[in-house]
Amino acid sequence: MELRVIEKTDTELSIEIAGEDHTFMNVLKGALLESEGVEAATYDVNPEQSGGQTEPILTVKTQEDVDALDALEAGADRVMEKADDFRSAYEAA
Amino acid sequence: MAPDYDVEFIDRGDRDREARFLVRDVSPAFANGIRRAMIADVPTLSIDEVRVIENSSVMFDEQIALRLGLVPLTTPDDYEIGETVTLALDVEGPGTAYSGDLVSTDDRVEPADKNVPIIDLKDPEGSETPQRLEVEADAVYDVGREHAKHQGGVAVGYRHLQTVEIVGDADEYGDDDPHILRGVIEEDGELIPTEEFDHDLTQRYPGKEVEVHDVPNAFVFHVETDGSMSVDELVTQAVDTIHGRASELKDAVQL
Amino acid sequence: MSYKCSRCKRDVELDEYGGVRCPYCGHRVLLKERSRDVKEVDVN
Repeated sequence: MELRVIEKTDTELSIEIAGEDHTFMNVLKGALLESEGVEAATYDVNPEQSGGQTEPILTVKTQEDVDALDALEAGADRVMEKADDFRSAYEAA
Repeated sequence: MAPDYDVEFIDRGDRDREARFLVRDVSPAFANGIRRAMIADVPTLSIDEVRVIENSSVMFDEQIALRLGLVPLTTPDDYEIGETVTLALDVEGPGTAYSGDLVSTDDRVEPADKNVPIIDLKDPEGSETPQRLEVEADAVYDVGREHAKHQGGVAVGYRHLQTVEIVGDADEYGDDDPHILRGVIEEDGELIPTEEFDHDLTQRYPGKEVEVHDVPNAFVFHVETDGSMSVDELVTQAVDTIHGRASELKDAVQL
Repeated sequence: MSYKCSRCKRDVELDEYGGVRCPYCGHRVLLKERSRDVKEVDVN
């Protein structure tokens, strides 16, 4: 997984996450949207129909008091938490 | 805010290859992530290179190799992506070469099904020797995203759990067409697979007019593997791949 | 190059000068045998 920041302000972040597809991006986007302080989150795997570029670009907008990069980290934490919970729920069944 | 999943098995097929289970309080995004991970991201062993020592069968080496590649192999979970195991096959006609004739160097790796025909070998009249197939093959550990032969999950999907609401009596002189519904319905907290009433709601609720509703965030997964691993292993490994990528992302963000 | 005569089934070595002909029975149809090399095939 290689990250490349495309645009960054305190409350806005566009970042390319190379090597990922819908499987992970949609889960991450879903987790971000559920997070406190995140106003918008989306991703695009074929931005602007730009010739050949197919690495997903994640865009996050946060509320004023939240740093977008921190929100992304919290989103990743949240996905891990979901995965752990799913696993333990499955194993308990 | 922590997610609070609840998993309940509806049925478990024999040989650990098939199962149906309900997950509650899961977001559609996460349910789909797990489904996709089961299909494309859980690695299995599959034959990827074949050394043909003798092939006097009626098929080309490449055709035989393709068939060997599609044979599901039992896959231990301590392999790494790209790691290989060597298998061998040596069969002489008259008779059929089966997947079960493959011999592996790792005794935990073997064809998941022994009765997959590879090719029928003849002993043609007037020929000095019968047809013979002798090969050595390397199976490689890789993911379904690379090639469909590496897919561990072959029939993986989910449906919403549904409820049936009785909204009134059916029109007395109306058509008595069946009302087909497939999946699992919840009735007063009880889970009823639609097989129980032949997938026909008019059998379960005769003379009633009903409406079917999805239960939000409750999904009934149906998982079937190709035999390379059990359903439990497939599900847990799929969840682990998502976990692994999230932790990779976290590490990358922190740098 | 090793061939096999399609009539007398004997192995035949062809050289540059002899032409396509079985030296044992004179038959002109020769079959090319599969090489004894191990062939590597990629599955895809």
